[in-house]
Amino acid sequence: MVERTAAAEPVVRIEGLTFRYRRATEPAIRDISLTIDPGEVLLVAGPSGCGKSTLIRAINGLIPHAYPGDLAGSVMVGGRSTSEWRLRDLAGIVGTVLQDPAKQIVGATVEAELAFGPENLGLERVEIRRRIGEVAERAGIRGLLGRETAALSGGERQLLAMGGILMLRPRLYVVDEPLANLDPASAARLLGILRDLADEGHAIVIVEHRVEEALDLRPDRVLYLEEGRTRYLGDTAGFLAVADPDAVKLPFDAVLARFRADPALMGATRQPGRHGQGPAPPDEQPRLEFRGVRAGFGDREVLHGIDARLGRREIVAVLGPNGSGKTTLFRTAMRLLAPTAGEIRVDGAPAFERSVAELATTFGYVFQSPSQMLFARTVREELTFGPRNLGRDAASFDFIVSDALRRTSLDGLDGILDRPPLTLSFGQQKRLALAIALSLQPPTLILDEPSAGQDHRTARRFMQEVLAIPGLESIFLVTHDVDLALTHADRILLFRDGRVVADGPPALVVEDLDRWIGCNLRPTSLMRANARWRPADAGFLDAQMLAAHVLTGTAAAESHGEGGLTVGTG
Amino acid sequence: MSSMSIQRSAWGVDSRVIVYAAIGAALYGVVALFSFVIPGSNNVSVRPAFAIVPFFGYAFGPVVGLFTGLVGNAIVDQLSGYGLLTAWNWHIANGLVGLIAGVLAAGSMARMGGKIVGPAIVAAISIVIGMLFVFSDIFVFGNDFNTALTGSYLWVLVPDLIAGVILVPLLVMAWEPLKESLGR
Amino acid sequence: MISTPRYLGRGSWLGSRDPRVPLVVGVLAAATVIQLWDIRIVSVLFVLGQAYYRTASIPFRLVRRQWAFAVLFVSILVLVNTILTGGAIGDFDRSDLHPLFYLPLLGTPISAESLSYGATQLLRFLTFITIGFPIAYAIAPSDLGPALARLRIPEKFAFGVDLTYRFIPSLAGDLQETIDAQRVRGYEWDKGRGGPIARVRRTVPLIVPLTMNAIVGAEDTIDAMDLRGFGTGRRSWLRELAYDRADRALLLTALAIFFAVTIASLMGLTKLWVFPPLLTLAGE
Repeated sequence: MVERTAAAEPVVRIEGLTFRYRRATEPAIRDISLTIDPGEVLLVAGPSGCGKSTLIRAINGLIPHAYPGDLAGSVMVGGRSTSEWRLRDLAGIVGTVLQDPAKQIVGATVEAELAFGPENLGLERVEIRRRIGEVAERAGIRGLLGRETAALSGGERQLLAMGGILMLRPRLYVVDEPLANLDPASAARLLGILRDLADEGHAIVIVEHRVEEALDLRPDRVLYLEEGRTRYLGDTAGFLAVADPDAVKLPFDAVLARFRADPALMGATRQPGRHGQGPAPPDEQPRLEFRGVRAGFGDREVLHGIDARLGRREIVAVLGPNGSGKTTLFRTAMRLLAPTAGEIRVDGAPAFERSVAELATTFGYVFQSPSQMLFARTVREELTFGPRNLGRDAASFDFIVSDALRRTSLDGLDGILDRPPLTLSFGQQKRLALAIALSLQPPTLILDEPSAGQDHRTARRFMQEVLAIPGLESIFLVTHDVDLALTHADRILLFRDGRVVADGPPALVVEDLDRWIGCNLRPTSLMRANARWRPADAGFLDAQMLAAHVLTGTAAAESHGEGGLTVGTG
Repeated sequence: MSSMSIQRSAWGVDSRVIVYAAIGAALYGVVALFSFVIPGSNNVSVRPAFAIVPFFGYAFGPVVGLFTGLVGNAIVDQLSGYGLLTAWNWHIANGLVGLIAGVLAAGSMARMGGKIVGPAIVAAISIVIGMLFVFSDIFVFGNDFNTALTGSYLWVLVPDLIAGVILVPLLVMAWEPLKESLGR
Repeated sequence: MISTPRYLGRGSWLGSRDPRVPLVVGVLAAATVIQLWDIRIVSVLFVLGQAYYRTASIPFRLVRRQWAFAVLFVSILVLVNTILTGGAIGDFDRSDLHPLFYLPLLGTPISAESLSYGATQLLRFLTFITIGFPIAYAIAPSDLGPALARLRIPEKFAFGVDLTYRFIPSLAGDLQETIDAQRVRGYEWDKGRGGPIARVRRTVPLIVPLTMNAIVGAEDTIDAMDLRGFGTGRRSWLRELAYDRADRALLLTALAIFFAVTIASLMGLTKLWVFPPLLTLAGE
């Protein structure tokens, strides 16, 4: 590393960078200094709002070219200040893969998307063709050529977005949270491409709070940001020794080492228990039962005969890769999609006897993206929309609203009732979506990808808040986040290609590692650690809990409150 | 500290204009399936999605409004089966509505009457003027003036006014606070 | 339930043409038919149009709904516009009309001219629609942008059309998601009573979230385009377009028909042709 630095001019040299957006009162980043050398891999980590996006924009030239504001310090790319470059020319030096590939892709077909950048630069057709060939090979998307981008899966889209940047042959690649929606196979491929690029002498900046997975890239250095400031800049080992395990997702061994070195950190690992959970009597009616259910969209069948019982008082996680039919399962249960065969029963009665709205009084369905349903002028109006549609007594609205806000801890926000919902932060919107579901006072919640769009800390906190909601009997969640499912569910339904391939407590479902990998799921360090440190019939603990458990013994860990997360313990 | 700002002209076409224009047209095309015929009327069909045209003009300028109406209406006709070319002059009428809304919003009209009445007035004026273009049915379809007035102009004016005057202020109200939170 | 564009003519003879061809033929046909009021000539063009339509091999069962809508819509339009609006027809003076009977209650005269005019108008519309269908279904969505650009349409506009087609499927998906999310809150768009104003207001829970999310998401798309140098200079198009012999033949035919009809029109040969038996019936 040191030799390389000496040999070549840095690709990026940032000195004393502070930037405040035009409409903001506070700078988004303060006093950042940094150089990035050819062949170097820099991991940028930190919680949401730490300034990662602003740093990326400063490097790729969107600041100052597209985002006006006050800038102090300097950003030199390829030996010139970004303000002197035209974006068009900068595109040949810095390539940026944005967080959400669905929004980055502008071509209707794979070829059109790959060609977009070179077309803008006016490259010759022959040259564009040649590059498409190369890039398709390199990104492993040759099989996608000719496809329409709207029909691609999340993983395929991410690789295509990467391909669109490879087409421009930049010297520096900036990749923003690429692992959020990738299954392990696609993630491994993407990280492989980035590693190869670095080995060929390109510089890589990867922004990711999933540190455990990003470490597979073997970054040379880590920049850790918090509240717009540099908290750490140095090698990986040093980073793991100072990182906050609550803010970013670290490998289990790193968490354990941190706790060992600094026992005071353990105090923060508190997890509220669930309320009023007793073991279900064996003959109790399940809340939701699927019998040979088939369903799909048009000619495409997604669920190929599902048999499953989800209990009245349990937390069930439906786990599987994207596109395996997890969400379709619950859409069918809510009658948003009609099954083509089989039967669905809710509390013992056929679901088709009830309308969607009536089913919503049993199941509070929380969609993945909260903003997709927010339309009202105020939070209050938003919360009374459901009760009003169901013809509830208007006199009860005040109670319903305050109850829903209290149960989701939104009641502490000043003037929350009159806020326009779309102006809330993402985390607040997520909780509002939860409150909306609770406004119909259902005994069961269905959560679709509860951790989507949130960083490690907020996702964890969100789940803790959900588990702490009083008066709930059961929670069913759909996720592709392995650790989230394992640490929160009593039972896992493992999905693959529209079929249930395993059904049981977490510890049992993960035992068959071949099946696990066959489902395109990642074997995490937390899984291995739980297997090593916990009895086979015990529930899974999250990284902090398990580390505390390992260091202080079972009793101490239980006293932190394992809650209802376990089956067969206690 | 160096302060930077970016000047945008109402008529300039940059990536921002293209993206909003394409989103407006696509939205109009996608949402247009929600339409209904006013009961007891002469097949007068209300298309709430039409409000997207003056709204995009109002919010993002005349070029975006023009494109949203022009291309959006062509797509609606195409998806419904009515045919892209059957009533091509109506695409232009829709485009003019968006264009005029954009011009009016840039002027002092938008600030008249506050956040609800202002957008409603802009929507109404742009629809009343822009839709005058459907009188071209006289040349395209050989209709006489009375047919063009009742069968074309008033036929589309009434439902579009209902959609525009109700929905444009509501869309503007939802969008105003968001505008502030978007970084640029 | 939500329609998105489909490339149904893939691989057909017309679908394999240069994408500019259906566009130019469409525009020429529209300009041709507009000049025609003689149902005999319109019929010839309608038959030619049908033959042209067949070459796109669009499976009928997939566009049945669109055809049904189009035929129903134009029928009502023609009925309302040409027969029930007082019986006034184009350039005809009222006194020249040959009434067959009068509508009860309204007293509108139904004449040999108005019936011929209605029939001609209907066939004109059907010809427009026939020629328009291949533009919708026999051009690959990704070809539309390059085709427009090569037809000298400003390239930013052409790219905007490209991008519109890129957004439609994802917005259709988002709309379905919003509909589902509101349905679990007890909302059904087509339920509930009220006048037009109430029904328009009932679309707010769908239109507002969909539009606002699209606008917020647009910021990322704008960034992505800026970062790849969009709009900073002349762009090239990967798609190479070249007319082959069949393309040229088709364009020349459309052009020849257009000129022939234009000349005929200038000579006054394309005026409304009143069906003679109707005149006889009216007592001429």
